[in-house]
Amino acid sequence: MDAKPKTQELERTRGVNLRALLERQARGELWRGFVDTMPLWIGVVPFGIAYTLAAQTAGLTPLQTLAMSLLVFAGASQFTAAGLFAGGAAGLSIILTTLVINLRHLLLSASLAPFLRHLSLWKRAGLAFGITDESYAVAVRRIMERQAGPALLLGANISLYVSWQLSTLAGLLLGGIISDPTALGLGLVFPLSFTVLLMPYLRSRPAWAAALVAGGLALAGRMLLPGSWYLLFAALGGSLAGALVEKKR
Amino acid sequence: MNTWLILLGMALVTYATRALPLLTMRDVNSPLLERTLRYVPPAIFAALIAPALLAPEGSLEAGPHLWAGLAGVVAAWTTRNMALTIIVGLGIFALLR
Repeated sequence: MDAKPKTQELERTRGVNLRALLERQARGELWRGFVDTMPLWIGVVPFGIAYTLAAQTAGLTPLQTLAMSLLVFAGASQFTAAGLFAGGAAGLSIILTTLVINLRHLLLSASLAPFLRHLSLWKRAGLAFGITDESYAVAVRRIMERQAGPALLLGANISLYVSWQLSTLAGLLLGGIISDPTALGLGLVFPLSFTVLLMPYLRSRPAWAAALVAGGLALAGRMLLPGSWYLLFAALGGSLAGALVEKKR
Repeated sequence: MNTWLILLGMALVTYATRALPLLTMRDVNSPLLERTLRYVPPAIFAALIAPALLAPEGSLEAGPHLWAGLAGVVAAWTTRNMALTIIVGLGIFALLR
């Protein structure tokens, strides 16, 4: 990379402190990512409370319930695990089910890798911990179009992490006051926000192909395949379809 | 198995799915893989949207989820505004339920 000599030259000749400028930009992106993820909190809060109630019903202690949110930080798999704990499932099967539900993260992480490989191992390891469907969705387009750096993803990750922990705490404190927080239909916040984030992609034929194939496969898989395998297969099939259509043109 | 051990195992396998590609992938040498990875965003979004709107309980149904979702699609298409799209979708859902 020739960025460094350029930076030094600019600093010398123009008196510009580029490093300070870049740091300010990163802080701005961090905040942007945090704020842009906030509309999703409407869906996160009832989901987090519902998870907590399910975990409590399954017999997990408050500390274990919170620890799962802090360490696993993956809503759908935590919710499913709570159900398995309640049913007295074997430990290994709970862990394997968690793995299957979260396999789709492999694709999210892999698609970000080319754009984050300049970061140190530790920074990549830290960023990876917070990757979720939601924070990825908010940040990925700007990162892939190189309009923003990793700070945007970090901000989105933190936004979701904080709201997930706070809603777990809220569930623990509220106890049985709310019987079914998901009854209001606030779970719709997720597909609705993904719809908004999908729109900018639907300008090219390959992207249309990716979306249509993935949507169709997900629908079929949801009805035919056991568990959560459908998400991985649909996302993989869809993105492959996009790549093949692009190649043909 | 001890509950704490199960929680630890869940945390480890979940972190592995998030971190392995990001930590191990160096250069993407295959053009097909490179292209495929670029279409992950629209594919994963559609894979998360379609079942949530068309089969919320696991079988096909044209119910409030679908109508709320379609209203959301129109709002998203015309405004690109996330807060507005969420309000429109949730509003329609509340009316129909």
